[in-house]
Amino acid sequence: MAEPPATVTLTIDGRAVTVARGTTVWHAAEQAGIDIPIFCYLDRMPPLGACRQCFVRVEKMARLQTSCTLVAEEGMVVSASTPDVRGAQERNLEFLLINHPLDCPICDKGGECPLQDQTFAYGSGRSRFVELKRDFAKPVSLGSVLVLDRERCILCWRCVRFGEIVAGDDALKGFERGFQTEINTPFTQPVRSKFIGNTISICPVGALTSRTYRFQARPWDNDAVPSVCNHCGLGCTVWLDVRDQTVARVRPRETPDLNDIWLCDLGQFGFEWLHAKDRLTRPLVRKNGQLVETTWDEALDLVAARLAESRQRGAGRVGVLGGARLTNEDNFLLRRVFREIVGTPHLDHRLDARPGSASLQVAWGLRGPLAAIPESSLLLLVGCDITEEYPIAWLRMKQAVDHGAQLYAIHPKPLEIHRFITGRLIHSPGAEGVVLAQIANAVRGQKPDAKVLQEAGVDPAVVAGLVARLRAAARPMVFIGKNALEGPAGTTVLHAAQRLQAAGCMIHIMRGKGNAVGAALMGVLPGPGGWTAPEMIQQAARGALDVLYVLGGDPATEVGDAHAWAAAREHTPLVVVHDLFLTATGRDADVVLPALTYAEKHGTVCNLEGRVQQIEAAVRGPAGARGDGAILLELAARLGAEWSYGGWEEIFADARAAVPGLEIGAFRTPPPLQGDWPANGALPARSADLVLITGEVLFDRGSMTARSPAIADLAGPPSVWVHPADAASRGLVDGALAQLSVGAAGLVLRARLTEEVPPGRVYVPRGYDAVPVNRLLSWDQPLVTVSLRAIDAAAAAGPGSEVAP
Amino acid sequence: MIRRRWGQVLGMLRGLSVTFRVLFRPPVTTTYPDEKTRVEERFKGRHWLTRYADGLERCIGCELCVIVCPSQAIFVQAAENTPEHQVSRGERYAADFQINMLRCIFCGFCEEACPTGAIVLGHDYELAGYTRASMIYTKPMLTEPYPGAGGRDPHREI
Ligand code: SF4
Ligand code: SF4
Ligand code: SF4
Ligand code: SF4
Ligand code: FES
Repeated sequence: MAEPPATVTLTIDGRAVTVARGTTVWHAAEQAGIDIPIFCYLDRMPPLGACRQCFVRVEKMARLQTSCTLVAEEGMVVSASTPDVRGAQERNLEFLLINHPLDCPICDKGGECPLQDQTFAYGSGRSRFVELKRDFAKPVSLGSVLVLDRERCILCWRCVRFGEIVAGDDALKGFERGFQTEINTPFTQPVRSKFIGNTISICPVGALTSRTYRFQARPWDNDAVPSVCNHCGLGCTVWLDVRDQTVARVRPRETPDLNDIWLCDLGQFGFEWLHAKDRLTRPLVRKNGQLVETTWDEALDLVAARLAESRQRGAGRVGVLGGARLTNEDNFLLRRVFREIVGTPHLDHRLDARPGSASLQVAWGLRGPLAAIPESSLLLLVGCDITEEYPIAWLRMKQAVDHGAQLYAIHPKPLEIHRFITGRLIHSPGAEGVVLAQIANAVRGQKPDAKVLQEAGVDPAVVAGLVARLRAAARPMVFIGKNALEGPAGTTVLHAAQRLQAAGCMIHIMRGKGNAVGAALMGVLPGPGGWTAPEMIQQAARGALDVLYVLGGDPATEVGDAHAWAAAREHTPLVVVHDLFLTATGRDADVVLPALTYAEKHGTVCNLEGRVQQIEAAVRGPAGARGDGAILLELAARLGAEWSYGGWEEIFADARAAVPGLEIGAFRTPPPLQGDWPANGALPARSADLVLITGEVLFDRGSMTARSPAIADLAGPPSVWVHPADAASRGLVDGALAQLSVGAAGLVLRARLTEEVPPGRVYVPRGYDAVPVNRLLSWDQPLVTVSLRAIDAAAAAGPGSEVAP
Repeated sequence: MIRRRWGQVLGMLRGLSVTFRVLFRPPVTTTYPDEKTRVEERFKGRHWLTRYADGLERCIGCELCVIVCPSQAIFVQAAENTPEHQVSRGERYAADFQINMLRCIFCGFCEEACPTGAIVLGHDYELAGYTRASMIYTKPMLTEPYPGAGGRDPHREI
């Protein structure tokens, strides 16, 4: 039989339209520029046919048809605007409005509501309904970001299906039947999702609204400014809706091959820190042991004088830490000021790396576009907690899984997305290198050593399955995360990954937040003879540096060993910090300069794909604070440089000359893995004590998130996750206070009993500034064993407090 | 020729008859500001934000007046009612409400757009000040001191 032609031609409202076979009538009409109203259909999800708003008449078909579900066929004759179709649309709207409260004046959707717009365009303009309307108690609060109004819901099921199809978290469900149907979370519990903000944007009415934006503004009050989210490193495109110099809300800005129309909740609700009351506005200088407010001139003169002094004493006595939160232009100036004028090679943005760790030996980023993930048939996560670290990438992985891809995870604890994972390789801490090496060997034909794998804690059968699939897979991808790179086996992981790359896998290095990739591109990396960030900290502790210059980072909480940072601070005569708030680093610094945020700057940033994107200043920022680039230019002038930059464009033009291929919209994809990394086949020694594993969480309480009430609520109190068996033997109950000690250092945290952490390990989420986990960690000891005991609530100063056991 | 002259004289006399008729009527001018002019019932003067009989504010902070105002004279910031702080009926109220009287052209569109009948244009036309700032009427200035003070029947629903 002959293949059917690839296209079909149909007639819609008398117009001939040719579309690809399989296209629905609604899409065919859209292509022809004919508007058919819809509510339930959203082109990111398959059609459902729930709302009946999209009726059309098709010749030779008995009844009106829903165009969103009807596949176009050759020769179809469709009418979308005949009186019977218009009548059906009008009556359907009248039915929808029967149960609708029509409280547009107090509804946050008012002004941008599809139900309003369509009633205006297709409705009759009057109602014949005089009976009592459905009456539900409202509003219902579903956690700290979502507000539900059940009366307004038109039961289009978009929000429910978003949780099922797009995010895979089943956050919202429909309850009851018929007239009484309502959308809710089970038992009206606070919603548990990392993507719930998207249901607010796709809800075609005001049934789901945002708590942070509640009654803040009307669409006509807002100026939408294009920007790029600076949280996780994927650089999702956003609109900052600004009312009176205040960011009222953050909305996804559609970019099909990046975040598409989605955002994670950190990006959507984690912005209130921009306007926190304790933003710094005056420079601070330490005098007689106290940080006191001063003028910009005094602070800058002081810093410039000390930099010049150090330059006199010899090159290389100044260290620069940070840059991931700055724009490319700021980073370019940073590099110029310190390499060209101050003459030091010690620059590094990788604050949170361990000395000699694998992170320092490889370029960070994705080796291919994010949009290619759904085309892969095998995804392997190595020490990468994708939903916590790079949430929007998970939506792409979910698409791949829906297309039939297999997902594997090599991790020391189960992941949140475990039900989508084909093979879980939960290994003993520190064994990821051995496991990946065995897999790499097996892919190249060697038989894996079942005994070693078992000792590493993983099931050899799962490994065998993974290896067989890796050999057959189309475009397999390996995502190597911070946990693996910073662990004791980081270089072994890279070694194995390189061999997998030779066998056809694409290797992604999932590392870096904000504009880390841009900082690296602009050269905020050690120059010839320069030290890496951890080396700088070690050298500073020996008194090798006169000045430590810290910007866009908080080493006191980010550096993996708090004692190392404390020693560096103590032995460095001048520590200068640019920051938004008085962070832990700032409190101990000698000069603190108030800086501006990404929402207050023009410039460009790069995401993990190396995609160069432009951001625009949306608000002015607090009076008195200055952009990092402006501060650096002031310093340069005081140090005798005669530069003149008339704006970010001119800096960008200079950066383009220095970094070929740096164009807005272009990709500066990092090169494939290429290195000579030592492999270590030995398994770490087993320990009878509990092993401490730490990890990044999406919702934490860092300097920014703690100042965003919605996110701080979502994060919940700091806790230590313990397996119930380990808890029982120590007399710990869920929610009780527990003391975690390593040698002389101790921390008090709330115990969270969960099987999400295997026995023999405890997990502490990082990113809580009030809980200095890094005081328990040490660079000398990549695997830390801890002792855990229940303590009397009365005896402790409260969770997060430090104790000396 | 003579006919035409007669016509002109007649016309002049007819015109002067108005003058003489009005000459003996009481004057229509007033000695403002000692004496105030009475305005018509539908005169559009300074705005009031009215209340229901129970004292709750009618305004729900919907900003429909803001978007309809042709001279962009109104600023509204809404907020949420709580049981402890119930300002208006329902969920939403205007936490801040300002009208720039220098910009307002007294068209009355805001009154027409208002879904609750909260904003009304009253009869006060004595709107002058010594500074620009004093011409921005704030919410306490605009809100009627007791139900009905602005001229709208507080028992009327809308
Ligand atoms: S959902 Fe739309 S139509 Fe319904 S009250 Fe809100 S704005 Fe009005
Ligand atoms: S809450 Fe909104 S998105 Fe969900 S079913 Fe109702 S109308 Fe649709
Ligand atoms: S009367 Fe007209 S110009 Fe004045 S505030 Fe109302 S809408 Fe604006
Ligand atoms: S005065 Fe009327 S239109 Fe203006 S905000 Fe208040 S309720 Fe809305
Ligand atoms: S859009 Fe077609 S049935 Fe809802």
